[in-house]
Amino acid sequence: MTPHDGAHVTEPDLSAYPPPEPGTELQRDAEWQRLDPRMLFVHPIREVIRFLPVLIVFALARTAAGGEPWQLLGVAIPVALGLLRYLTTRFRIAAGRIELQRGLLNRHVLSTPVDRVRTVDLTSSPIHRLLGLTTLKIGTGTASTSDEDRIDLDGLPLDRARALREQLLRTSTADDAIEESPDREVVTFALSWLRFAPLTGSGVVIAAAALGAASQLLQATGFFERFNPETVRLPGLSLVVLVPLLVAAALAVVSLLAIGGYLVTNWGFRLTRTRGSGTWHLTRGLFTTRETTLDDERVAGVNVSEPLGLRAARGARLSAIVTGLDRKQQGSSALVPPGPLAVVERVAREVLDSAEPVDTPLVGHGPRAVRRRWTRALAPAGVVAAGGVLAVALGEPTWLLAGLVTLPVAALLAWDRTRSLGHALVAGHLVARSGSVVRRRRILEADHVIGWNFQATWFQRRAGLTTLVATTAGGNQAVAVLDVPEGEAVRVAQAALPHLIGEFVELGDFPAQSAARA
Amino acid sequence: MWLTTSAAGALVVLVALVVLAGPMGVLDVPWWLVALAGALLAAYVAVVPQWRYAVHRWEVTDTAVYTQTGWWTRERRIAPMSRIQTVDHVEGAISRLFGLATVTVTTASAAGALAIVGLDKDVARRLVDELTVKADAVEGDAT
Repeated sequence: MTPHDGAHVTEPDLSAYPPPEPGTELQRDAEWQRLDPRMLFVHPIREVIRFLPVLIVFALARTAAGGEPWQLLGVAIPVALGLLRYLTTRFRIAAGRIELQRGLLNRHVLSTPVDRVRTVDLTSSPIHRLLGLTTLKIGTGTASTSDEDRIDLDGLPLDRARALREQLLRTSTADDAIEESPDREVVTFALSWLRFAPLTGSGVVIAAAALGAASQLLQATGFFERFNPETVRLPGLSLVVLVPLLVAAALAVVSLLAIGGYLVTNWGFRLTRTRGSGTWHLTRGLFTTRETTLDDERVAGVNVSEPLGLRAARGARLSAIVTGLDRKQQGSSALVPPGPLAVVERVAREVLDSAEPVDTPLVGHGPRAVRRRWTRALAPAGVVAAGGVLAVALGEPTWLLAGLVTLPVAALLAWDRTRSLGHALVAGHLVARSGSVVRRRRILEADHVIGWNFQATWFQRRAGLTTLVATTAGGNQAVAVLDVPEGEAVRVAQAALPHLIGEFVELGDFPAQSAARA
Repeated sequence: MWLTTSAAGALVVLVALVVLAGPMGVLDVPWWLVALAGALLAAYVAVVPQWRYAVHRWEVTDTAVYTQTGWWTRERRIAPMSRIQTVDHVEGAISRLFGLATVTVTTASAAGALAIVGLDKDVARRLVDELTVKADAVEGDAT
């Protein structure tokens, strides 16, 4: 990395900006500020934890070789590093810019205009909470993934961070008329939601991670060398009893882990609406609490997703499509964790400020789209099944006939996908639903549609279908309407953004120039 | 240009296949499979560039940019002038050989970039200027 010559940032012309009102948080921050002195505790502790493996080795070495004073360096270095980090980090908010300076050898100055602030997150780890501190993370929607380029003010007192957040967001929306009004609670966590946790599949992920860690640990301790399967006495149960028992045990463990994970991330979940400033405010977390604030204007739409398990229990989860946030920052955009569908729908209505997009029955995509769903599901399954039958006919073992099972499964899938497929354009929102294993209903405000893509493979063209993709600057960057009849796709696109598409589409005839021939 | 790139690509695949199957004996496949692959690749080289050329279109108006690309999967993209963020002009090594260039128009959405491939260099340059001026003239922050 090249050292940044950050000390020579040109001083901006301060007179161009009105000075912040006296006594406010912004005014305090106009001068270079250190983070909270209490971070002097946090940094060393954290560094010690990071150096823990080294320290353990040191300790072992000491017991082996007899204590020598220089080995205390192992503790001193992390502590010193922590102190240095505190002393070299400064920030200020002045002249419409946020500036963050850090680093001893490679001095690094980050600077961003205040009006580019899109989200402000407050995250407090258990250590932070003990000391009443929090980390303020400023999201600007940058595409940079480098850790160096994130603006994190690590270690501000909680009330200062809250005041700062409020003022940052107020500046960024340039909303002067703020009337003080109490925050209205939209949704709060209910213990009964825990019943959805085992259905989300997150338990499997946690279990897999735990299993991986455990096996690594066992490997490290040489468990596998000493383990001899023949010496393990099986209880006097037959295989028929043992297998279901094991499956049940695994299920129970996975469910418990899922519930645990759900509790840790979503405990105390609360979504509130700040009336005056038009923001959504979200708090959650058991150990590490997290507060996210979303600016109303940047919420382009919502995404109701119902994985198969959740759908069976009439549950769903809700996330927002936020301009400037992409999939990687999903944590900032979740609106409701897996919970009852009724709650999810109610919140969706409130966020969109309109009930129609959530409730309208969707327009189906016609018989040709239905046929496509069926052929797409059945063709691969048919190949598998036929292959199985053929192999058995050629004298392979009969268990290959299990390939036939794929047929009814595929049929079910096709039937469900057909039922899910639909779209609508109501009250200035584009609604698209598709999928079976994970059914998603995406609702996108027409104003936030940036452009249109019409995609059609040769098969789709033959069936007169096309996939209409509305591109946007948030979420997955696009909302796709699968397999719409071509005429309908054009009609929807035209109705959503009237001026855009009309000049290109004249009854399916696209007049255009030809690219130069090579 | 597409003829050249696809021919070059096919040639590389074919040579690799022959080398692997023949002297090195890594792939144990009958000779007719190699021949079949060769024939398929030849067909690909003969047909696809023409097909691509027949599909590709572009148009720029005062309010929007429109492209149609692809061969098997046909994709039409429309982006309004007001949402354009950057206009790129790229000349690859092979395109330079033919005096061609690619103009890429990006929007705030990662899914919304439009590429106009294989334009005559001068046309491309003029198009870039035109787009830049037009995009500049429209108000808004393009998100």
